[in-house]
Amino acid sequence: MPKISKIDLAAASIVFAVLAAIPLFGVTTYTIGVLTVCVCFAIWAASWDFMSGLTGRENFGHSLFIGIGGYTAGFLNVEFGFDPWWSLPAAALTAGVSAILIGFPTLRLRGPYFALAMLSASTVMQYLVIIFSQVTGGQDGLNGIFPILDSQRDYYWLTLFFLLVTLMVLKALALSPWGTILRAIRGDEATCQAAGINVTFYKIAALVISAVFAGLGGALYAHYQLQVGPDLFAVILSINIIIMVYVGGMGSIYGAVGGALLLNILTESLRAFSEYRLWIYTLLLMLILFFLPNGLIAPAWTRIRDRLARPREKKRQAIA
Amino acid sequence: MSLLEVDNVSKRFGGLAALKNVSFTVEAGEITGILGPNGAGKTTLFNLLSGFLPADTGRIAFDGQSIRGLKPHRIVNRGLARTFQLTRPFFGMTVVENVIVGCLAPRVRDVHVSTERRAREILDQVGLGHAADALVDVLPYGDLRRLEIARALATRPKLLLLDEPFAGLGTSEIEPLATLIRRLHDEEGLTILIIEHKLREFMQLVSRVIAMDFGEIIMTGTPAETVRHPRVIEAYIGKAEADVAAA
Repeated sequence: MPKISKIDLAAASIVFAVLAAIPLFGVTTYTIGVLTVCVCFAIWAASWDFMSGLTGRENFGHSLFIGIGGYTAGFLNVEFGFDPWWSLPAAALTAGVSAILIGFPTLRLRGPYFALAMLSASTVMQYLVIIFSQVTGGQDGLNGIFPILDSQRDYYWLTLFFLLVTLMVLKALALSPWGTILRAIRGDEATCQAAGINVTFYKIAALVISAVFAGLGGALYAHYQLQVGPDLFAVILSINIIIMVYVGGMGSIYGAVGGALLLNILTESLRAFSEYRLWIYTLLLMLILFFLPNGLIAPAWTRIRDRLARPREKKRQAIA
Repeated sequence: MSLLEVDNVSKRFGGLAALKNVSFTVEAGEITGILGPNGAGKTTLFNLLSGFLPADTGRIAFDGQSIRGLKPHRIVNRGLARTFQLTRPFFGMTVVENVIVGCLAPRVRDVHVSTERRAREILDQVGLGHAADALVDVLPYGDLRRLEIARALATRPKLLLLDEPFAGLGTSEIEPLATLIRRLHDEEGLTILIIEHKLREFMQLVSRVIAMDFGEIIMTGTPAETVRHPRVIEAYIGKAEADVAAA
């Protein structure tokens, strides 16, 4: 995997600077809210891509960890009266622990069964939450969650900060020997074992890391919505995240973020078309997935970067 | 004490006895060959030794310790590495990355040594240095065979199991590969257990042959003794005649 170049860093800085600067230009709180949700999706998509994009084991139940993170925030805050700041580490912890518990049995499964097991696990949790309504609030969920920061704008910056942290950690891991091993697992598990690698350990660890950030994102989302409901566990949320990663380009992490931003903004900007919105959205998705099977954002950026880097290479060669 | 001791090992697949009470030893520093027609149980034996399949009965000891029932990656980290008959590289990764994965095995992982530099040295050793940065997806078959060996060498094995390293290679590719294997033995002192068919290069390579048929060891001896042994001739030459007749 190519290392991060200066051009990559410059581009990432520009994107983050633009995202951070938007609220300074007199936009409505509605826009800030849309952006906050965008950033939550970006955290979820990036964390999905770390596990599934690198190892190739598609997780169809990422919403399980998001929901666990969200409900952890809800319980601590609403039921036990903890300060909302506690939600973030606690959500990361509970999601991580649940990934260990679910990873041990499911990651031993081969082929599509891991995807199916995760899909079932998130659905089961969704219905358990509805059934045990005395504790969980059932369909209504947990209401009256406190905001972490009073200003919506400040809270948007906080989520953006956590997206930055998520990306730095995941990208650093993906470029380390860890990333090499996870991509090797994608290639061939038996060969990995023959190379002396404990495949089960690395798969579970990748799922735990993925879950920790998904849970963190879930808590951030809960403290933005000030409410959590069983829909947070819904399969459709997992699938939306997977689509975002595919549109962005699998296995690059930043592509997932691009896909999440692009599709969220697309959904919002299509509101003008009211009832035709889903038609147009679905049509665009089908076109992207059909004509760009490797995704849109990551391959496009690779091309732009190569074009930007070429004149420099020539100059370097001329000097040499 | 022998480096590898296999004692009364058996393996059944349903009603088929793939291995019946197989016992043999491999001494440190020798190149031993396992000879046998298709279905003799050679690859099954390798899968038991490397932990990819559980043995039904018997004892497998490596370096004086039992390795039966250990997971494949644990066996590799004891110093027993294997290659696959059908090459199984990590597609989508470069050649050097494929070897780096082997350099990351706990047995050899060392934070003070650049895994990439080690991987490149190993690639030079097996004659793949020129292709280090190419994607494995574009590598020709003969080079994939060398890559299999490079990945196994990356784990710094004491015993290397080679599963039909010459399979599918043309005559021009066999000789250099045989030279490489002999050099690994002569220069690195590597103990090698090698599965092959009736190849001249194979017979010249090994110092001792274990001949198998129908899941049993039918004889053990020098290459010269092997080719004269009546049961080996029965298992092989008969088949060769049939091949000639068919052609």
